[in-house]
Amino acid sequence: MPVETKPVALSDEGEKSTHLAAPHARVGLSGPVIAVLALFSLVVPLLPGEYPTIVGVEILILSLFAGSFNLIYGYMGQMSFGQGAFFGLGAYATALLCRWCQAGSTDIGYPQFFLALLLAIPVSALGALVVGFFLVRLTGIYFSILSLAFGELLFYIVFSWYGFTGGDDGIQGIYPPALLRDPHYYYYFTLAIVAAATFLIWRITRSPFGFTLRMLRDNQRRTAFVGVNIRRAMLLNFVLAGTFAGIAGALWGPFQRSVSPSLLGWMQSGTPVFMTLMGGADFFAGPLVGSLIYTSLNAYVTRFTVFWPLTIGTIILIIVLFFPGGILSIIDGRLARNRGSRGA
Amino acid sequence: MRKEILQVTGLDKSFGGLHATRNLDFELFEGDLNAIIGPNGAGKSTFFNLLTGYHRPDSGTILFDGVDITNRPPHEITRIGISRAFQVSNIFTKMTVFENVRSAVQAQMGMAFNLFGNAAKVGNDRTEHLLSLCGLSDKSTHIAGALSQGDKKKLELTLALAGKPKLLLLDEPTAGMSLEETRETMGLVDRLNEKYNLTILFTEHNLSVVFNHARNITLLHHGEIIIQGTPDQVRSNETAQNIYFGEHH
Repeated sequence: MPVETKPVALSDEGEKSTHLAAPHARVGLSGPVIAVLALFSLVVPLLPGEYPTIVGVEILILSLFAGSFNLIYGYMGQMSFGQGAFFGLGAYATALLCRWCQAGSTDIGYPQFFLALLLAIPVSALGALVVGFFLVRLTGIYFSILSLAFGELLFYIVFSWYGFTGGDDGIQGIYPPALLRDPHYYYYFTLAIVAAATFLIWRITRSPFGFTLRMLRDNQRRTAFVGVNIRRAMLLNFVLAGTFAGIAGALWGPFQRSVSPSLLGWMQSGTPVFMTLMGGADFFAGPLVGSLIYTSLNAYVTRFTVFWPLTIGTIILIIVLFFPGGILSIIDGRLARNRGSRGA
Repeated sequence: MRKEILQVTGLDKSFGGLHATRNLDFELFEGDLNAIIGPNGAGKSTFFNLLTGYHRPDSGTILFDGVDITNRPPHEITRIGISRAFQVSNIFTKMTVFENVRSAVQAQMGMAFNLFGNAAKVGNDRTEHLLSLCGLSDKSTHIAGALSQGDKKKLELTLALAGKPKLLLLDEPTAGMSLEETRETMGLVDRLNEKYNLTILFTEHNLSVVFNHARNITLLHHGEIIIQGTPDQVRSNETAQNIYFGEHH
């Protein structure tokens, strides 16, 4: 079935832009901006007070979460409302092993801690494999609804399985090892892992498989008719995305010192959707920029007002109505115009 | 003696009460350039859908190049060597023309699941070759969705060729094309057949295209073969005239 895509402008102005690289090929940020952001990410812990560092850790973790979601949405063209399930599975896998290693105390050795983080990878991958097995048989709205249903199903299992997961109490008192309890160190630790994972995602999006995903997004029937097993390709991508979400989730628990079932819930699943739409799904950096804005706003707006949902709702409304390509599309459009006028 | 490349026996397919193909026997030899014609609803598209695994036959067998491909899925049949260009172009709209073809070339190379290679560095030569063969070289940086209808059909054909087919199926290759584009496209079809000895089977409503390019014509009606033969044989056949040409002349 041909997948409907947004029409490409056919006006004279549009004609000009067709000579540029396809939108998804662009990172969305120019070299200097990337350099400044990278430099800034290194000095965040030097800012006064702990708060910016704490927000920084959340930005990093959630940007990986949103980046994992965009493998499914921006690259493969399917909307998942259940990505939180794998974030949560990763968080619970790490939290449960941490708690077991701590054995009632607040101490955990480095090897045990790293092992607990690593455990999130097979657990979230396996979860995504099982869910994906059913999901990849569908596309469009059916894919979205089923992803939501599976997300809620996993949420409910974690929510009601008191004996193992602690039910709606969640798990409290998960501590990283000594040095990493300092948010500054935890920040650099998170930065290293998120940077490595983001680099991996970037490599995947530039690989032949990355283009298989774009083929699936643009035209599933043609993808099958160039010889690609489309279900298998969708499943592989779903497992990859679930695994990256799981890694993000694994970092979340020890930093917050607790996990709760809401990490698997639909609110959590909505977060990467918001972030990606804000930043721009057509750009590799879209989810990252979205997380930067969404999380900072969340952190600072909630200090002034309890109407956070109203605030973020309004922002999303404005972006979707007036800048449907996300914030990076505005910047990108401006860059393209400059290039165009210089070329003319 | 030429090699038989496609052998269809007793192919049957119904949709509800509609018998789309009825006990169809059909064969193609290597190097053939043949056409299937028939009024709307004659079963041409169903026949293509059955050959490429898009539909599953109720009964009958399809042998391709000595391999039983009955009930195989489309992606496997493509890998075995049957490529297909659709009537309504199925292209990758948000990618550039070059990326369209390069992705198809990489799929043909078995790299669709390669996670850590650099897509920009693989298959570029073949992509450029295919683009120049199909007259799309100067459009390679254009976004495919913004191409003209004629160029979209050209790209559709290029994507089908990227699969290195032994048999190429063309569904109404010139539908919606201008006279000039039709001439260009059918010229390419002839060249592919003569120069590369590619076996081609096409359906077409434009009868002058059919009679000028096909060496052998099969007329389908209500899912059954009415007559099969050279253009002259088909043209002079009385049943054929009643069923089909009457509507056009």
